[in-house]
Amino acid sequence: MTDATDVTGDLAGIRDAVSVRLPAASAYLSVLRTATAGLAARLDFTLDEIEDLRIAVDEACAMLLRQAVPGTDLTAEFELTGQEMSIRVEVSTVGIAEPKRDDFAWMVLTALADDVDAVSDSPDHMAIVLRKRRGAARPA
Amino acid sequence: MDLKLDHRTEDRLTIVEVEGEIDVYTAPRLRELLIDLVNKGNFHLLVNMEKVDFLDSTGLGVLVGGLKRVRAHDGSLELVCTQERILKIFRITGLTKVFGIYASVDEAKEAHGRDK
Repeated sequence: MTDATDVTGDLAGIRDAVSVRLPAASAYLSVLRTATAGLAARLDFTLDEIEDLRIAVDEACAMLLRQAVPGTDLTAEFELTGQEMSIRVEVSTVGIAEPKRDDFAWMVLTALADDVDAVSDSPDHMAIVLRKRRGAARPA
Repeated sequence: MDLKLDHRTEDRLTIVEVEGEIDVYTAPRLRELLIDLVNKGNFHLLVNMEKVDFLDSTGLGVLVGGLKRVRAHDGSLELVCTQERILKIFRITGLTKVFGIYASVDEAKEAHGRDK
């Protein structure tokens, strides 16, 4: 591993915000996973943490895509602070949609991210916000 | 990286080679292959995951679906997987207790031979 203090030193105090907009179609999920990994690497997350984030973002999006209006976009907003990455993924829906919380996707998502919130108060949008902190010890 | 699928039958065991990423986009192809194999009378399946770069819950769902199908014919669906990042997903969902998971195709074949 490279010198972690240098990297965090460079990023300390910087607010990195990155938005990615993609068609709300499963074919584009691999692109978003790659973007997630690249951004997580900027914060010097470990390889395991980067993999966790890749899977967590994928699961969140897979859940949203079930509810997304065909032909619309999926937006992902990444916010990077010194120790944490926060990701909000959002799609357009018809009516108020809730993510299913009793399936494998939710189980995996909540196990791999440190915090997960589903935002479904808007009648035509559904979002999932997930956060992961660098170096936060979690049981495997 | 897309998903590459291949299969061969050795004795009564059908070995499914999976390479690439299994996600919500590619998983339907794996599902179709498993359904097709079962429909053609292959009830003992071994899915080799050693070249899988990515697996999410959609992929897990496909494997569980395959397992249900073969079990309906007194068959088996087992896995070859040693990659920690893939095994982690099985552990999170409790599926390590559901699937037989082997370190190599040879090890799985040996175990399968004993169970005959």
